[in-house]
Amino acid sequence: MRIAVRPLALLLLALLVIPLAPAPGVAAPIAHREVLPNGIVLLVAERPGVPIVAVRVSMRAGAAFEPATRAGLANLTGALLTRGTAKRTGPQIDEAIEFVGGSLEAGAGRDSLTASLSVLKRDLMLGMDLLTDVILAPAFPEEELKRKVAQIQAGIKRSDEDPNTVAGRALARLVYPNHPYGKPVEGTIESVGKLTRDDVVGFYRGHARPDSTVIAVVGDITVDEARREMLKRFGGWARPNAPVPTVPASAPGGAPKRETITKELTQATLMLGRQAVRQVDPDYFPLVVASYVLGGGSASRLYERVRDEGGLAYSVYSYVSPARYGASFAVAAQTRTAEVPKVDDMLKEELARMTREPVKDDELKLAKDYLIGSFPLRLDTSAKVADFIIAIEEQGLGLDYADRYKAGVARVTAGDVQRVAGKFFRPESFSRVVVGATK
Amino acid sequence: MRRWLSLTLLAAILTTASVGIAAESPVLAVTLDNGLRVLLLEDHRSPIVSLQLWYRVGSRNEARGATGIAHFLEHLMFRGTPTNGPGAYARIVERNGGQDNAFTSQDVTSYYVDIAADRLDLVLALEADRMHNLTLDPKIVDAEREVVTEERRTRTEDDPGGALGEEVSALAFRAHPYGQPIIGWAVDLKRITRDEIQAFYKTYYAPNNAVLLVAGDFKTAGVLAKVKEVFGPIPRGPQPPKVLAIEPDQNGERRLQVQRPAELPIVYLGYPVPNHQSPDAAALDVLSVVLSGGRASRLYRHLVYERQLALEAGGDYSYFSFDPNLFWFYATPLPGQTPETLEKELLSEMEQLQKVPVGDDELKRAKNQIEAGFVFQDDSVHRRAALLARFELIGGYALKDQYLDKIRAVTPADLQRVAARYFTPDKKNVGILLPKS
Repeated sequence: MRIAVRPLALLLLALLVIPLAPAPGVAAPIAHREVLPNGIVLLVAERPGVPIVAVRVSMRAGAAFEPATRAGLANLTGALLTRGTAKRTGPQIDEAIEFVGGSLEAGAGRDSLTASLSVLKRDLMLGMDLLTDVILAPAFPEEELKRKVAQIQAGIKRSDEDPNTVAGRALARLVYPNHPYGKPVEGTIESVGKLTRDDVVGFYRGHARPDSTVIAVVGDITVDEARREMLKRFGGWARPNAPVPTVPASAPGGAPKRETITKELTQATLMLGRQAVRQVDPDYFPLVVASYVLGGGSASRLYERVRDEGGLAYSVYSYVSPARYGASFAVAAQTRTAEVPKVDDMLKEELARMTREPVKDDELKLAKDYLIGSFPLRLDTSAKVADFIIAIEEQGLGLDYADRYKAGVARVTAGDVQRVAGKFFRPESFSRVVVGATK
Repeated sequence: MRRWLSLTLLAAILTTASVGIAAESPVLAVTLDNGLRVLLLEDHRSPIVSLQLWYRVGSRNEARGATGIAHFLEHLMFRGTPTNGPGAYARIVERNGGQDNAFTSQDVTSYYVDIAADRLDLVLALEADRMHNLTLDPKIVDAEREVVTEERRTRTEDDPGGALGEEVSALAFRAHPYGQPIIGWAVDLKRITRDEIQAFYKTYYAPNNAVLLVAGDFKTAGVLAKVKEVFGPIPRGPQPPKVLAIEPDQNGERRLQVQRPAELPIVYLGYPVPNHQSPDAAALDVLSVVLSGGRASRLYRHLVYERQLALEAGGDYSYFSFDPNLFWFYATPLPGQTPETLEKELLSEMEQLQKVPVGDDELKRAKNQIEAGFVFQDDSVHRRAALLARFELIGGYALKDQYLDKIRAVTPADLQRVAARYFTPDKKNVGILLPKS
């Protein structure tokens, strides 16, 4: 990416907004997809050449699904998945996977709880044994929970040192005042301290189920091998009768708000944000193009004006962050304390200019060419492919989404960009957070 | 882009570095008449290429009073030539769907573009152009000076770990430039002149001081011809001056304490160690994995997991360092624990390594992690290329094939010996960060 310092949101974004380069003639599907008898969606992308396999198991059990009074529950549940099963202790799992140089990690985000396995092909059976065990028989030992809670609390405490994290959390709260997306995934020091083993066991039991699970298998493996392994291991996982839990889509955020968080720092972190639209909305592609023109790369308006010409920031950018139940758009910069008013004005002026005048032909072309042309780079490793196909499945976009994305971006006109900017870029519609020293 | 990587980060990337499938994909290595070293590696799994140009210049080559000049120049490399004016580089790369970036380390400055394979010629021409024709407009230099200063604020002034790392490096190195921050002291960034940058550029940005690596979906013969066409006309430069500084032996513990706004304390320990040229290097590399390669590693297992003293703890070694560098230990105490406790625990872990041989399974696990890391790295064309470049820069890309043999040969006695030899009280550099309330 063009900016060295980027929030995690951007990494997620990268998974979601990337178009698939069309093969000449008939586009090859990016992955094989089938639904197993118990409802598991199995995605397989064969990638021979390097003897490794990446597996992702994604369940609809992210922080959006936890009760408002249990902030951090999904995150804790995810973190505990590898900390012991009916058959193995946490350290035994660590030792087994690390002895073969592989990795097995689990954790939760806003929408999903995901377990990720990476192993050499020759160790696939061992890796699959461990992965199956942590998904189907996690023990959530009380002692491990205590440890993990202390670690998470210390992590939250330390994250208060990082102005980007502090600002991002505050902005989410302002942008999604009445939606789970407004809460930090990791919870707060207080909320995590109150979580119990019963909470964790109940949450996992209620949300880990085959009919809302997606498994992606990518690497040196065939579709037949992958299907056989997954049927053998997860085929007996029974589908419960209760309906799959769901989360309401985010409601509009209401009146924009402002917040200043004082910290003894030499730089201020400035973030503007508001709700936007998901990939299924007709405005989505024009919005992605508009965001790229405004602050998407080293040739963007904000980068050129604030950084290259103004020397006012190292980090300045804008991005669209779509998720399953809502989407946001944000603009951010870090600048020395004295220049906050100037940079704030520039961000707002450039937002307003996008609404006022059409983007130039060469700007439009550059944004579209980049968004379409850089696609192969986003799928050049097994891990990236696995993350991408999981994301498009989770977002309900379909395996042909890549082609539709490319076509959608290609169709965007300067008129579309201006119209969408009129809807989403009005400066007065943004909530604003500043983290830094007060002058 | 225009970023720098700390020594620690770089070491972290390289520890999991790899050799995997290299044998199946021969590298074509040639040196052009003007001294440019060229390595080409065909890899047809994805329709992309990774072009990387590594210059043998980093903060190691900087004089006192001009620290940060290598990284400053890295930023300016994106700011225009007579042919490709300000902003043109980014526009051309993005219009062609490419992703570019650069970083400066203590030893090297590296530029890369990953891009669709059919656009390779275009970016080869861009790289050749800025190797020789950089404009360095004074107004742009001054604007970029502010950008670099902002970067320093983000990474050092406002980052407790960054601030402490800078202090400990300065403590450990008195004679060698590894004691100077890569990003540069703020006073130097303010002072450095455009003419000094121009002179630095002329001294170090020459074909005979660079390694060009291209990996990906192409035919070697065609690319070699194109490389000769665009880089061939650039004249060889004078041989850049050698770095003569040698760090004298340390005679006694050095210690500092920093108080600044932070939520948790930090402990850093640094011990002078040799680099890849030493027969001890492979053992030190394995040792860093024994100490901090995953959740089963010693420092995590003992300090984070079993004793619940630390939020994180680890050890770090730079095999690829051009000159002897530091072996780092670090720990972040959990709330309620003091940095003194963590320092003591880190020392007692070292003592264990000195007294008791590492178990066979533990050693085997570390070696397996290094070997598997090589294979995982091969999954990415970019990372394959970067690893080849790393070995080329320390003496030849073929060293990559010997590296794993050296790792495999490490014994428990080797680990015990290097721990005893290098982690001694009189070689200790300690930095402690205390949160200012």
